Amino acid sequence: MGFVEDRVGSRYEWMSADELADHQSKALVRSVAQAAKSPWYSQKFAELGIEPADIVSRDDVTKLPFTTKEDLRLSYPMGMLTVDRELVVRMHTSSGTTGRPTAIFHTREDIDCWAELMARCLAMAGATASDVFQNMTGYGLFTGGLGLHYGAERLGMWVIPAGAGNTARQIMLIRDFGVTCIHATPSYAMHVAERMLQEGDDPKNLRLRLAFLGAEPYTEEMRLKLQDIYGFKAFNSYGLSEMNGPGVAFECPEQNGMHIWEDAYLVEVLNPETLQPVGEGEVGELVLTTLRRRAMPIIRYRTRDLTRLITSDCPCGRRHVRLGRMVGRSDDMLIVRGVNVFPSQIEEVLMRHEWLGGNYVIHLTRAEALDQMTVKVEIARDAFDGSMESLRHRRAELHKQLKEQIGFSAQVDVVEPGSLPASEGKAKRVIDER
Amino acid sequence: MYNEVRVFVENKPGKMSKVTSLLGKAGIDLLSLDLADDGQFGVFKILTAEPERAKEVLSAANMTVALYKVAVIEIPDEPGVLVKLAEALEAANLNVTDAYGCIIERGRRAVFVVKGDNLEAIEDAARSVGLRPLDSLD
Repeated sequence: MGFVEDRVGSRYEWMSADELADHQSKALVRSVAQAAKSPWYSQKFAELGIEPADIVSRDDVTKLPFTTKEDLRLSYPMGMLTVDRELVVRMHTSSGTTGRPTAIFHTREDIDCWAELMARCLAMAGATASDVFQNMTGYGLFTGGLGLHYGAERLGMWVIPAGAGNTARQIMLIRDFGVTCIHATPSYAMHVAERMLQEGDDPKNLRLRLAFLGAEPYTEEMRLKLQDIYGFKAFNSYGLSEMNGPGVAFECPEQNGMHIWEDAYLVEVLNPETLQPVGEGEVGELVLTTLRRRAMPIIRYRTRDLTRLITSDCPCGRRHVRLGRMVGRSDDMLIVRGVNVFPSQIEEVLMRHEWLGGNYVIHLTRAEALDQMTVKVEIARDAFDGSMESLRHRRAELHKQLKEQIGFSAQVDVVEPGSLPASEGKAKRVIDER
Repeated sequence: MYNEVRVFVENKPGKMSKVTSLLGKAGIDLLSLDLADDGQFGVFKILTAEPERAKEVLSAANMTVALYKVAVIEIPDEPGVLVKLAEALEAANLNVTDAYGCIIERGRRAVFVVKGDNLEAIEDAARSVGLRPLDSLD
């Protein structure tokens, strides 16, 4: 079959660049042939005149069509399934905002491969079979819980499947069983720490040494803060349900970018407008092809996640390329006066200004055929010192920094606290009236 | 030295009536109300005998309020006083960023509100020509 189980996975982990290239070419050929067995891809390939036999090396990936989230919805429920139903051992779904979910299928080998990839992530971060691991995210259709669970078991860790919530019980289990590693969302890890501090307990007194944080975006400052409060080392994780879930990319002890397992995923970073590769080190949309999944291969999946590749040699010795922090979603990209602008770039500048509250709105209009951008920011209530001059000065400084960041001049409007939509939930940050 | 009440507002209609009605309902008399307008936002400058209470009332209504130090110089009702003050400030080479006059009791008592980088020196200059800086407007 070629989809061979490798319990340890080390033959993949330490491949040289040449070995990886060779493996990727062979795996891509297999994946495309396998994908062609699904109703969706067989029809797609036929429409586009693609013969799976034309794909002979990894460079041929550019001949293949993209797959989008919408394609996954259209193929729901089983349009991308490539194997007999009896070979499927699990499925996960991710809910879409438009109602139809997307469903991902796994054979036994697929689950084994996922567990191997996940175990490699945990081991890379320094976890071993001697560790006690508390999994503090939800189980079920959400891939984060079961993904980490299987990986940790594969590594031989003592696994406590605590699931999400019930903070008092989480703290009790961590303490009573000498938990050394946790998996949680950063915000929940912070919540647990705050609860402990409220009750007069110092999280540093726990035996925790490693934390795997993911499933929501968070800043480097948040990571450092959590590391400081707990005294553990926190690792960033990247995954998406379409690519199994967690276990796609993970940080090594260098904590400088996440190694993406290139034996399992063919990586492209493309300009989301032109769909051509970006220059080395430039930000673009991450596009992934599964190389080791049998029940449901996905070809050139447009993740919509924007990142840059770190191609320099990692001191850890692994050749698997690293992903930088996610800088946003290509869905969010704005084109203003022909310039690509991401709200995250603007947010980055705003976060440097302590006199601002967290809320902001980017308002786009057109005047005399020219795009106009107004960034509305809230003054923090405590930051107002009564002086008109200092407000003007701060606004001018912000205006200058925004111009340096995005390359053109945006108007900055300072508004009263509480007058913009709150940052929690799906706040609408961009109002486009062009 | 004295506290002026300053309120940050976006330039939207209705802000002035909100500020005045909140203070009116609380029984706080306004001696002076001035709006410094930037075009995009504005800052109300309010002179009242009860700055701390005015701040509390406006803050409780979720307005963005700060107390701002100014020099309030009592001006007796006699000719030539302002000229004396102006000359004293000039002689001391003091930078004045904003100033306005305000009548406390018609025909009897007025004050001159002065803002600048060095309020203590401004008050000293006023004293040097026989004028009295106030720290209360009761």
